[in-house]
Amino acid sequence: MIRSTLTIAGKDLRLAFAGGQGPVQAILLGLLLVFLFSLSAAPGDLFSSQQGMAIFWLCSSFAVVLIFSLLFRFEEENDTATALILSPAPIQSLWLGKTLAGAILLGLCQIFFFLAAVVFLSLDVQGSPALLLLMIVSVDVGLCVLGGLMGAMGHGQGAKDTLLTIILFPLQVPLLLGGIRIGTEVLYGALAVDVAQWFGLILAFDAVFSGAALFLFSHVFRGE
Amino acid sequence: MPISSRFLVVLACLAALSMLLGQYFIWFYAPEELTMGVVQKIFYLHLPLAWWAFMAFLGVFVASVMVLWTKNEKWDLWAGVLAEVGVLFCGLALVTGSIWGRASWNTWWTWDPRLSTTLVMWFVYAGYLLLRGAGVGGVKGATIRAVLGIVAFLDVPLVFLSARLWRSIHPTVFAAQGGGLEPEMWVTVWVNAVAWGVLFIVLAVARIHNQTLAHRIDYILARFRDTTLQHKE
Repeated sequence: MIRSTLTIAGKDLRLAFAGGQGPVQAILLGLLLVFLFSLSAAPGDLFSSQQGMAIFWLCSSFAVVLIFSLLFRFEEENDTATALILSPAPIQSLWLGKTLAGAILLGLCQIFFFLAAVVFLSLDVQGSPALLLLMIVSVDVGLCVLGGLMGAMGHGQGAKDTLLTIILFPLQVPLLLGGIRIGTEVLYGALAVDVAQWFGLILAFDAVFSGAALFLFSHVFRGE
Repeated sequence: MPISSRFLVVLACLAALSMLLGQYFIWFYAPEELTMGVVQKIFYLHLPLAWWAFMAFLGVFVASVMVLWTKNEKWDLWAGVLAEVGVLFCGLALVTGSIWGRASWNTWWTWDPRLSTTLVMWFVYAGYLLLRGAGVGGVKGATIRAVLGIVAFLDVPLVFLSARLWRSIHPTVFAAQGGGLEPEMWVTVWVNAVAWGVLFIVLAVARIHNQTLAHRIDYILARFRDTTLQHKE
């Protein structure tokens, strides 16, 4: 299963970068959002760490939608969904592979979002960068697990797949709150007691939705 | 099996009577709360609405699991109906809660675990209804909707925990000492919970009745079209 997962992820990443576009749309949208939000403060005013982290996660949330829409569009454009379903690879490895590819693309986007937040919103990391990275990875897992499942649901829906974002964004609320709270404290450099609880909540989200997605993916991504 | 209209009328009358009884308990039986005064009486609507909204969303989850398990689309119909009633009750719970909050906390809205969880649930299930209406999923629509119904409910405890970690000022109803409610207040809460429960059942059964009739009409129209086309040929 690990081998087929890596094969799917590798195929998707190659396709994503083959056209020279990759996650460019997601990166540009995120940069635009950071820039637009930077206009909400008067010249000389500083953004709080919490505002900065909220904008960063908002960009990431939009990026997840675009990335998974792209990853599942490959199967639609090339008409390969049925071939993948009929292949000997376990169906769960399709979801896992797409989730892995999506997580890598999201991480790439977030490098740009974070740099933009440092430049436009004057974010400054005073705490541990390792903890910040650990938090981003933990939240990204949940975002991509859910994004992979939603992407599969939107597969073959044409323009209707954008409607799924109506339900995706509220579902992400616990993760985004966790990301904002831990990120704020790491940026301030003063860790409160509840950081461990937030990490627990984020990991619980990752575990619950990974289990659910492993079971449910085969129901949504199947032949007619 | 279609539900008879007479049965629905009997149920509706029962709901009206139980709602009247509930109002009697609110205005003539339950004592007036010392600090908040008459405004506190909105609590007797707010709490049952929130409880039944949660029950409706639990029902959507159960019906969604049944869709995947039995592949019977009857459960999909139930999931949709329960989501409709749940969104209605959830919306009313939010409105009554907001009015109560304005009177007691001097704000229409505040960040609180229960309020935030209810709002997020409202967003999720309103989105779910929108997706149902838009026909997302095509031929595998019932399966897609079932997966959404399951995923939406799995999120509820996580949303609640995250909102509680953020911060809270909501009064605790189920405290170890009974949440500070007088016994008469508790009786009024339960009478109204039952009354809203009966109304909940009436609304759900009426919607199932409507949907069953709508499906039947669609079927008759489709057969009529086929027959007309055959005659023309």
